[in-house]
Amino acid sequence: MSVLTNALAEALTPLAEYVPLLTVAWVALPFSIGFSIYLLPQYDRILALGVTLVSTLYAALVIVGQTPQTFELLGSFGVTLAIDDLGSYFILTNALVTLAVLMYCWRTEKPDFFYTQVILLHGSVNSAFLCADFISLYVALEVLGVASFLLVTYTRSAKSIWIGLRYLFVSNTAMLFYLVGTALVYRATNSFQFQGLADSPPEAIALIFLGLSVKGGIFVSGLWLPQTHSQAESPVSAMLSGVVVKTAVLPLVRCALLVPEVEPIVRLLGVGTALLGVGYAVFEKDSKRMLAFHTVSQLGFVLAAPLVAGFYALTHGFVKSALFLVAGALPSRNFKELNKKPIARSLWLFATIAAASISGLPLLAGFGAKTLTMKSLLPWQVVAMNVAAVGTAISFAKFIFLPHSDEIKAPEQVQRLWPAMAILLGGLLIANGLYPPAYSFANIAKATATVAAGWTIYHAIIKRLSVKLPRGPERLEDLLGTMSLTAVGLFLLAIYVFSNGGYVQ
Amino acid sequence: MIEACVFATVLCGFFGLILKRNLVMKIIAMDVMSTGTIAYYVAIAARGGKIAPLASNPEATLARGAFADPVPQAVILTAIVIGFSIQALMLVGVMKLAHDNPTLETEAIERSYRP
Repeated sequence: MSVLTNALAEALTPLAEYVPLLTVAWVALPFSIGFSIYLLPQYDRILALGVTLVSTLYAALVIVGQTPQTFELLGSFGVTLAIDDLGSYFILTNALVTLAVLMYCWRTEKPDFFYTQVILLHGSVNSAFLCADFISLYVALEVLGVASFLLVTYTRSAKSIWIGLRYLFVSNTAMLFYLVGTALVYRATNSFQFQGLADSPPEAIALIFLGLSVKGGIFVSGLWLPQTHSQAESPVSAMLSGVVVKTAVLPLVRCALLVPEVEPIVRLLGVGTALLGVGYAVFEKDSKRMLAFHTVSQLGFVLAAPLVAGFYALTHGFVKSALFLVAGALPSRNFKELNKKPIARSLWLFATIAAASISGLPLLAGFGAKTLTMKSLLPWQVVAMNVAAVGTAISFAKFIFLPHSDEIKAPEQVQRLWPAMAILLGGLLIANGLYPPAYSFANIAKATATVAAGWTIYHAIIKRLSVKLPRGPERLEDLLGTMSLTAVGLFLLAIYVFSNGGYVQ
Repeated sequence: MIEACVFATVLCGFFGLILKRNLVMKIIAMDVMSTGTIAYYVAIAARGGKIAPLASNPEATLARGAFADPVPQAVILTAIVIGFSIQALMLVGVMKLAHDNPTLETEAIERSYRP
């Protein structure tokens, strides 16, 4: 394996000097093609597929080429782009998830508008993954916000418009705070680079992290996410949950790696998010809301160990999009009703493979990712993250223990699901080979014990329990009000961390 | 002093967003907030007694020494355009919503669309 990659990397060395050019062309491609789809509506699917395939190829080249690069366009005040190992995982996730979504929608009569927005969203997510300065990141995140709004509302029902408006209110307000934070960074360091955070006042860190955490659905600021992701159509939620939220998580991870002072804040946010999300997910009875809450918790895992964030994000992206697509094909969204009537075997199989990976069972990529993350935790995080891992197993037991039978005829969506599942679940199997050292006896035993504990708790307690958590905090005013509290909390945290030399014990 | 006014504007907008019930008022409050943010960038860049840097004649600018910083203003132009387009988009959405909910009260809308 490594001999092969080395040989490939060597063959690609001459390409290294063209990297900036290739990258800019690749970032620009989705936007130019996206708008051309309007002009050539009859080729919408082919054009969209072409862009995604180019993206996949680019991501593969970056992973194999192993040439981390940072380059500045238009001088030091211009746009800074960073291509590195960490980002390449995110880019690959984006490319494959979009590919799977396109495959799923291939034989449906979606309008060209849908494909245009998918490709624009794909492009803006790519550029957000590349940006390494605050202003280009702001632009990428706002473009992405508009594209997601249009995707959420493209059915034009009054309800979807309200959900979209709510999303724009929350994200735009957060981005205004982010802009104020960016101005503070510029005043302190005369540059918009991520590194500038080290010399910035704590209020700058609080405001920028507030913006990113709202946009990325982290901790209490992420409570807008379940309703938005669960109300959108399945393919749209697959993209939103699989990749779009990660655009704000990657910059947080980058900041944590570049500026050691803020790393404890990011790790702490990660732990809080993992516990909060899983707490809601365990008691949730609606399949799509459960998946959305669980996205919140998984983003916590990504943040909790910044060094190995890429691999975890990759596996989570695959699993979450697969499960959202499957949930869209299930006869009901309520787990209580699903438990009464068996579902088609093929559907159950898809859901179980994905759920087994995210619960961390061996032989799938989720196991390697979880082991790697658990190994990179600091001592004070370990207990909380293990609790969150058990919670994950509990929430996904809801999918694994659904009744199923051969006699039930599969709904017609299953035919469309096959190619998408081949990409996503096949990706999980292949990605399994990325971290072979995970397969030691202790790791396997630990993973199995975690899952067994989760399943036992599920059968003993959760299945019989019917707890309704209040949805008050999901009202628009509460979401906006929470932002001010989060800002104060982050500010105090930043002051504390800086006064302690950047280390929380 | 200017800075205090700017932050007061941002906060006014933010409280408006939370306290106003009507969706159109909320959008206007958001506009106030973004005006505050933009003004902050302008305030950062503004410096007294300095010359404007001219790209057509860089030597002369450098020779005169102290020149004002053009970067924040250039950057905030993008944000103005983005903010304006998002507000336009939101207003269109509100217009569509107004067919079903003529009062545009957030609470009533949230109650009717709760799953």
